[in-house]
Amino acid sequence: MSVDAARKPLPAPDPDTARLWEGLRQGKLLLQHCDDCKHVQYYQQALCRACGSENLTHRPASGHGKVHSFSVVHRAPGPAFKADVPYAVLLVELQEGPRMISTYVGGNPAEVTFDMDVTLVCEQVSDEITLPRFRRAG
Amino acid sequence: MSEASLRGKAAIIGIGQSPVGKVPGRSPLWLAADAAQKAIADAGLKKTAIDGVLSGHAFASPFHRFSIAFSEYFGLQPTFSNTLQVSGATAATMFSIGAAAIQAGLAENVLIVAADSLMTGLSPDLALRSLTESRDQQYEMPFGIPVANTFAMTAHRHMKEFGTTAEQLAEVAVIHRRHASRTPGAQQTKPITIEDVLTSGMVTTPYHKLDCSLISDGGAAFVLTSAARAKGLGIAKPIYILGAGECYTHEHIFLMPSLTTTGAVESSRKAYTMAGYGPHDLHTAGVYDCFTGTVIMMLEDLGFCPKGEGGPYAVSGEITYSGRIPINTHGGLLSFAHPGIPGSLFHFHEVIAQLRGHCGERQVPGAELGLVHSLGAGFATNATTILGTENTL
Repeated sequence: MSVDAARKPLPAPDPDTARLWEGLRQGKLLLQHCDDCKHVQYYQQALCRACGSENLTHRPASGHGKVHSFSVVHRAPGPAFKADVPYAVLLVELQEGPRMISTYVGGNPAEVTFDMDVTLVCEQVSDEITLPRFRRAG
Repeated sequence: MSEASLRGKAAIIGIGQSPVGKVPGRSPLWLAADAAQKAIADAGLKKTAIDGVLSGHAFASPFHRFSIAFSEYFGLQPTFSNTLQVSGATAATMFSIGAAAIQAGLAENVLIVAADSLMTGLSPDLALRSLTESRDQQYEMPFGIPVANTFAMTAHRHMKEFGTTAEQLAEVAVIHRRHASRTPGAQQTKPITIEDVLTSGMVTTPYHKLDCSLISDGGAAFVLTSAARAKGLGIAKPIYILGAGECYTHEHIFLMPSLTTTGAVESSRKAYTMAGYGPHDLHTAGVYDCFTGTVIMMLEDLGFCPKGEGGPYAVSGEITYSGRIPINTHGGLLSFAHPGIPGSLFHFHEVIAQLRGHCGERQVPGAELGLVHSLGAGFATNATTILGTENTL
């Protein structure tokens, strides 16, 4: 097994995405709000996906959302995730509207249900990268 | 119908496929060449007649330009070529782009070819990793989301919204295995039961091992030419491209507009419109079956049954022999073979063989009109092709 295959992939911040990862390091999940058409988007990019405007303002998300769908991974996608199974991958619908991929923390993956209320947890995984994960709300 | 429509302008005149399943010691280029040789011979042509080559990427091949590497390996110097990449939908796009190129005079005889060796050319971990690396490295992959997981979340939501059951998903796998049992050379032919599927071990909920398609070696190839040239060559039974449509709704799974209604609605609508036929005119179909739930959702989005009724429809006998539209009579990606990008080419091979009346004990009686739907990347990519015999023109 190559060293590379055993290591979890980490995001490599680039000019499009740097602010998002910087925000997460400070415990904030930044969403982009379009000043022109009011569209709210995740993930970070230079243009509004709805109207093409470049007038985008970052605002921290409330961190509240619901589980729109999920799938509990029992067979890891490669050696890097073998020690983690079973884990629940979540498709979270944030209170502000956008959806995002994350994973469930702070409980047994078997307790995840559709439309369950979840809350953001910022988990530092390296000096540079903090990943947005979610736990059961309340 | 606009003057520019592809309808009936191009015909498939040769088909071939390599051995599939476990084919050790053979590179993707060899598998592609084997299939190509058979397709060109089937068309009654010499390889010097081929002036166009369209292909897809192969994970187990070191070449970035597979169609070019293939041409060199096979001894061709085409004047039209490309290696296309829209994941699982690539297969169908090769036919529409090939047909468009022929109609535009860019090429006369286009070879469509793809092959890969995911089973013996890559270690299992690297094969899986090759699939996970197709997910975004910023917003998806850090969370350990294999491509199976994206499809699983759509099926899971379908179960929640429409009451689709694990048993209905399992029955799709059972039917595909039964179909493969009649197909010479299929990778998995041992009959299975719903119970076998449900106890085969969870991969990613709601998918058990037997809800998932195979990992295989193999390839397929086709010769496409103009309808006029097919006639001139005296081809016994050309199969015409009657309609084609594509739809790309998102890249990231979290930006899929709806988890339970896909771009297949639009791609098939465009294909039906071009063909002048609807879903209930079809005699057989190849429906991309990377997972059992994918089939159930496609039965709805391709218009075979109403939205939400894919589960009951799949178990009612309508997708097998004597049903309304028998699908994947070769056994599909679930039981025949799934070498990645080439996987959907086997659906084309089967539907074309059905329309030619060459399927032996698998033959759907009187099959004249067929559809193939290819898709990929968590429903990011969708492409539909409608094929027919001369009688359907």
